[in-house]
Amino acid sequence: MSSLFAAPSGLRAQRGVAGFIAGLSPRGRALLIVTEVVLLLLLWQFLVGTLGLVNAVFFPPPLDVAQGFVELVQQGTLAQNAAVSVQSWLTGFAIAVAIGVPLGLLMGSSVPVDRVFGPIAWTLYAAPAVAYQPLTKAWFGFGTGPVIFLIVISAIFPIMLNLAAGIRTTSPSLIRAARVYGGSRMDVYRKILLPAAVPFLFAGLRQGAVLATIGMVVAELTGSSVGMGAVIIRSANTYNTDQSFAAIMLIVIWSVSMTQLVGLVERWLAPWNRRKGAAS
Amino acid sequence: MPDSAETAAAPLIEVRGVTVRYDIARTGTSLTAVEGVDLDIAEGEFVTVLGPSGCGKTTVMNVIAGLVKPTEGSVTVDGRTVTGPGPDRAVVFQDYALLPWRSVFDNVRFGLEMQQSLNSGDWRERVQNAIELVGLAGFEQSYPRELSGGMQQRVGLARAIVAEPRILLMDEPLGAVDALTREVMRDEIEKLITATGKTVIFITHSIEEAILLGDRIVVFKSHPGAILEEITVDLPRPRSERGAQSDPRYLELRDHLWDVLQNEATAASRGGKGS
Repeated sequence: MSSLFAAPSGLRAQRGVAGFIAGLSPRGRALLIVTEVVLLLLLWQFLVGTLGLVNAVFFPPPLDVAQGFVELVQQGTLAQNAAVSVQSWLTGFAIAVAIGVPLGLLMGSSVPVDRVFGPIAWTLYAAPAVAYQPLTKAWFGFGTGPVIFLIVISAIFPIMLNLAAGIRTTSPSLIRAARVYGGSRMDVYRKILLPAAVPFLFAGLRQGAVLATIGMVVAELTGSSVGMGAVIIRSANTYNTDQSFAAIMLIVIWSVSMTQLVGLVERWLAPWNRRKGAAS
Repeated sequence: MPDSAETAAAPLIEVRGVTVRYDIARTGTSLTAVEGVDLDIAEGEFVTVLGPSGCGKTTVMNVIAGLVKPTEGSVTVDGRTVTGPGPDRAVVFQDYALLPWRSVFDNVRFGLEMQQSLNSGDWRERVQNAIELVGLAGFEQSYPRELSGGMQQRVGLARAIVAEPRILLMDEPLGAVDALTREVMRDEIEKLITATGKTVIFITHSIEEAILLGDRIVVFKSHPGAILEEITVDLPRPRSERGAQSDPRYLELRDHLWDVLQNEATAASRGGKGS
């Protein structure tokens, strides 16, 4: 399963469009993506806004969404609800890291702990976190409690399980090298296992950031009167779908920004792990 | 002759009746990796260990390194029984085993830092000297992934010699290096090590390497791993230059070793475990 989380590193010779894209410089690639997005937005605006192929209430064109965004800002709805969501997200993600990292370290370095907690962790991870949503109201009431709980439960397993896998899959010859040069158990842990697991930890954090956002929106959609999820529900119920779309876009931007932020921290903390030009 | 003087002194490394068996939990059986290995190695001797892959030569080396406990038998170094790794023995690994998150300098320092050797003030110079000795000056701040296989193994070699161990255990150190680099590095290893007078156990499956580097060649057989033959190499040093390879004694040794290994391979495949 761990290969599921590992970053794709195998580069194969590619032809055609894939080859063209692979051959682009980072700047060229960014330009390509921007062009793609602009073209899609234009097409969308033209088909729905100008031709009216679809009822704009169901699928508001980009300019309407922009209008909805402005409304959200002017009403003060956005500032208020985004603040609640960001706070829940950060709290939940911090708790997931604070619990997931030590548990992952334990599971990765102790076979008995892994035997006992591994199956439980994988089972909980396999169950969709969304399923707990109705219960969370009974457990945590109607405040941000259920939201934070769902964020934690969504983000904690990828963090924990990736970290554990990273420690367990450390090359045995690195461990042998540490022992040969006088390393104690503690040295092996500190100087080999922990640094070797860093790329796996960040893979888990990146995945956890996305799942945390999903958990947050699901919890806010049904169980909460505040937060971005609540904004979506309320605006959709009053047929202000342009506002719903604006809220969805903001959530997507948040999710992408957080994974990018994790990537930045990784490049800063683990500069040796640049994917390009990796050995072998 | 130095030969008689060497045999008179007690050997530095004594391997006595070493057998290593692994239990295979899945099948409930056990696998004998090596059986009844006896080997004496004198101080300053360069011993090459030759054999097919899977013949347990690495296992014997790991026992000497203190990484593997023998099921039966024992190893003593300088009269003391080996119970674990020690600063008198360093290992060069086939897969380099460098820490990818450390620069060349810090990888070499790894050979010192866990033996409290950093307390002595001159550790920086020792690391720098080792790096220069293996020809990596100027690459101190590079990461392993930025280096070729040959250069990575130079780092592994520098890490092994930085703490000045008496014994160097080299496990197919050139096995993963390209052919040309392999020859260059083989010659450098000969010069470097004969100059320092270290005791070396060098595992290889290259007949050429075994002859050109070894004072003595220990030939292993497989299933189970055991010593088949020991041959003293009396070619003059340095052998590295091309001259040695046209020496009739070199050719004779090479042919002999070919025959021995080929017979062994045939016997092994008849035994039904052809691998």
